[in-house]
Amino acid sequence: MKKLSFQEVVEKLNKFWSDRGCLIVEPLDTEVGAGTFHPATFFKSLGKDPWRVAYVQPSRRPCDGRYADNPLRLQHYYQYQVIIKPTVADIRKIYLDSLKALGINLKAHEVRFVEDDWESPTLGASGLGWEVWLDSLEITQFTYFQQVAGIELDVVPCEITYGLERICMFIQEKFNLFDLEWASGVTYGDIHKRHEIEYSKYNFEEASIEMYSKMFEYFEKEANRLADKGLAYPAYSFVLKASHAFNVLDARGAISQNERPRYIAKVRSLAKRCADTYIAGME
Amino acid sequence: MKDFLLEINVEELPTSYARPALDKLKSAFIERLALERISHGDINVYGTASTLVCYIKDMQLKQEDLCQEISGPPKRIAFDENNNLTPQGIGFAKNQGANAKDLKIKSTPKGEYVFIVKKIKARPTKEVLQVLIPEAIKSISFPKIMKWDDSGTRFARPIESILVLLDKENIKIRMGNIPAGIAKGLSAGAYLKKLQKSCVLDQDKRKSEIENMIKLAQKKLGLDEYIDKNLLEETNFLVRLPVLMIGDFDKKFLEVPRDVLAASMSKHQRIFTLSRDGKLVNKFIAILDGKGRDIAKMKKVYGNILEARLKDSLFFYNEDIKKPLSELTPKLKDLIFHKDLGNMFEKIQRLEDLSLFISEKLNIDPVKKNDIKKAAYLSKSDLVTQMVGEFPSLQGVMGMEYSLKSGEKESVAIAIKEHYLPKGLDDNLPETIEGAVLAIGDRIDNIVGLLGSGIEPKGSFDPFGIRRNSQGLIQIINYKSLRLEIAGIIRKAIELYKGKLKIFPEELEKKVINYIKERLESLAPDTRPLELKQAVLRSGCNDIVSAFKRVGALSEISAEKYFLKAAKVCERTSNILKGAKAEKIGEVNEGLLKEDLEKEVWKAYSANSGAIKDLIKKEKYKEATRAYGEAFFEVLHKFFDNVLVNAEDKALRQNRLAMMQAINKLYTNDVADLAMLPQIVVE
Repeated sequence: MKKLSFQEVVEKLNKFWSDRGCLIVEPLDTEVGAGTFHPATFFKSLGKDPWRVAYVQPSRRPCDGRYADNPLRLQHYYQYQVIIKPTVADIRKIYLDSLKALGINLKAHEVRFVEDDWESPTLGASGLGWEVWLDSLEITQFTYFQQVAGIELDVVPCEITYGLERICMFIQEKFNLFDLEWASGVTYGDIHKRHEIEYSKYNFEEASIEMYSKMFEYFEKEANRLADKGLAYPAYSFVLKASHAFNVLDARGAISQNERPRYIAKVRSLAKRCADTYIAGME
Repeated sequence: MKDFLLEINVEELPTSYARPALDKLKSAFIERLALERISHGDINVYGTASTLVCYIKDMQLKQEDLCQEISGPPKRIAFDENNNLTPQGIGFAKNQGANAKDLKIKSTPKGEYVFIVKKIKARPTKEVLQVLIPEAIKSISFPKIMKWDDSGTRFARPIESILVLLDKENIKIRMGNIPAGIAKGLSAGAYLKKLQKSCVLDQDKRKSEIENMIKLAQKKLGLDEYIDKNLLEETNFLVRLPVLMIGDFDKKFLEVPRDVLAASMSKHQRIFTLSRDGKLVNKFIAILDGKGRDIAKMKKVYGNILEARLKDSLFFYNEDIKKPLSELTPKLKDLIFHKDLGNMFEKIQRLEDLSLFISEKLNIDPVKKNDIKKAAYLSKSDLVTQMVGEFPSLQGVMGMEYSLKSGEKESVAIAIKEHYLPKGLDDNLPETIEGAVLAIGDRIDNIVGLLGSGIEPKGSFDPFGIRRNSQGLIQIINYKSLRLEIAGIIRKAIELYKGKLKIFPEELEKKVINYIKERLESLAPDTRPLELKQAVLRSGCNDIVSAFKRVGALSEISAEKYFLKAAKVCERTSNILKGAKAEKIGEVNEGLLKEDLEKEVWKAYSANSGAIKDLIKKEKYKEATRAYGEAFFEVLHKFFDNVLVNAEDKALRQNRLAMMQAINKLYTNDVADLAMLPQIVVE
């Protein structure tokens, strides 16, 4: 079987999950740290309504930048996120089928489910599940949500988060991210290398601490103001902006250990407000 | 009688949950089957992270019969004077579902009562199991549990199916929406065999197979025989059918400090490091699950991932060593120690003072004292390095590495590493005096600070490790035989917090000592009788080394006649003093000694007390006990038989009590209060 390119992997996953009743939606147009932040996960996990969705989410982790020097770390990468709510009994079998659909031979290689109790302190979200290892390479985070925004969930969604680069590494047998084939003749590095270097420099050296500190305050205020008016989506978009501002300040070394819990608590309580506002507006 | 099998299929449990779950399952069955009067043969549990099996041989197919006697009202209430049943009597029979003729009268110490003997019908085992099994499964507790469907069932991970076989009969049980497993007509025994064929089901067998595989490979390659025990246990529950694979990585990464390499390998990939003559080599062992894999490609993936990660570690390492460690120390001001206790920089300042104080008490020479102070200053600086940020478990180890890189003395570097030891009950202890002093100071500062701000362990919940700290403290002091007055150090530690604590110093000191005493009791070896340990601790635990010595010495002689004599002396003197508690007992006045026998007792005291005190001082506890028992047992025996201690005459009485107190304290003050032992009989 031909080795899939990055864009073919996305295509295959879209097809696979679409065939299993998932809506295929587009990424959120705001900087976020993970696919979980997308309202298609954060809001839709709340309440009792069934929901199945899949999407790619570009994710930013300013602290993880390595100036394109590290073969495994990026400050900007791609997650493929699936939410199946409520979860189904054979969800793990379906997941393994998705790996087979990508041409991965599960007899010749070993899939391991390694305990990982996932938690997002800023979203007040947590769940139990695993990191999925393929021959010791972590390719997926598999979580049964128990809480979102500090709210105990009545209906348990299963969240499957593929690390797209990792899966491509395995499929293409290339152990440097930048060598991955995005499409025939075009590498991941061609598209992202300069972006990585410049953003690493920006996050660690150039981002204006003064501006981001002020922005954090503005975003916080705006999120609260909008939540007061019952506008859950706009309020939430400002929570995400605040969260990203916090991450940049962190990468910039501008947040002391004492302040960190305070920032996180602020974002979490904003996220909780948005969740409450969202629930209040449900029919 | 038929064999029984329970199989719980579950989505992979965390590796650390599996063994306790199996143990709990076994004890739950033993307990509940006994309660239900179902006899059975051997009971065994086997399992992996995804399969828990309980196999019970020769299970009785019916409960044992049970006759139960139920006591009712007294006869005089249940029957009237004409021997007819009263409404109360009728009510009792009715409530028990019995007829009036079933009522029996029995005389008891409290008088005559009405009884009913109820025969409880034996139920078929199958019926009992349908209730018992879900209860046994629910009794398994985990650190974290979850729900996964609308039934509300909770477990550590979703349960996929439950199979119950009583011989060939597939018993259906109801637990949430969990489906029954399928056995396709197999008997319990045949099903177990089938499971055992597909994997190494027995956790202990699997573990020793893995261990042997690794040892064999190490031998073949001419490598050191060493296995990380924690990783072995973890690996044991990551695989069902172990297969060994040897891989390698680029030599250049051997530059990364050993502990970093080991942490990266064991934590991120669960693979075993290998060494030759104590030095790591660029090879590793991975335990894979199942046969028929593409080993060539797997090796490549494992090796490449490892190298990519080590590249990151090397990056952290090179970043961290750009500055000497001492330059990082002021950054500890940004790191909180505890919200009520200030930051980490303040912590190391206290630690400097406290370890100097301890050094002085131990008469440590000025050069070492200086090293201890330096080590205290650097002890926490690695917490703000990138490497420890990535691998928190490397705290201390990186402190050592980086301080050496910054040109510090080796003894300082080792003390930094050692001050975190022991991390658990079975961990190594500090070897150097510098490390030990720092470790003691750090622990006392932790215990005093945490207890002092009102934090206390509750049940098994001890998030700040107060018990662990107390335990470590005792282990270090005992291991290094450090003669310290622990109370004095606690007072100093309290003082160094400069009023930051919520609890008053005197109260806090008592509290801290109590915690240490409690831990001391659990750490000291068990004695026979068990109370001997408490008896020793009652006589003081300020000097921990002496407490251990006394426990050790006395438990060796606790069956000797002279020991029992000494114990009897303590007991009798203590008993007589108990009654006199209210009276103020003074010194013995020789002029008031009247009876010959009491003069004889006092003579024994005057003749022997000096020598006994001397033996105690020299810590010859066995000899001291012998001398004490021999000196006083016979003479006191006669004395108690013939002389009334509690005489009418107050002066006489006081004097005799004073004598008893002197004899009692001679031993109990510094060795052990043997009066606490149960039933002391001297034959």
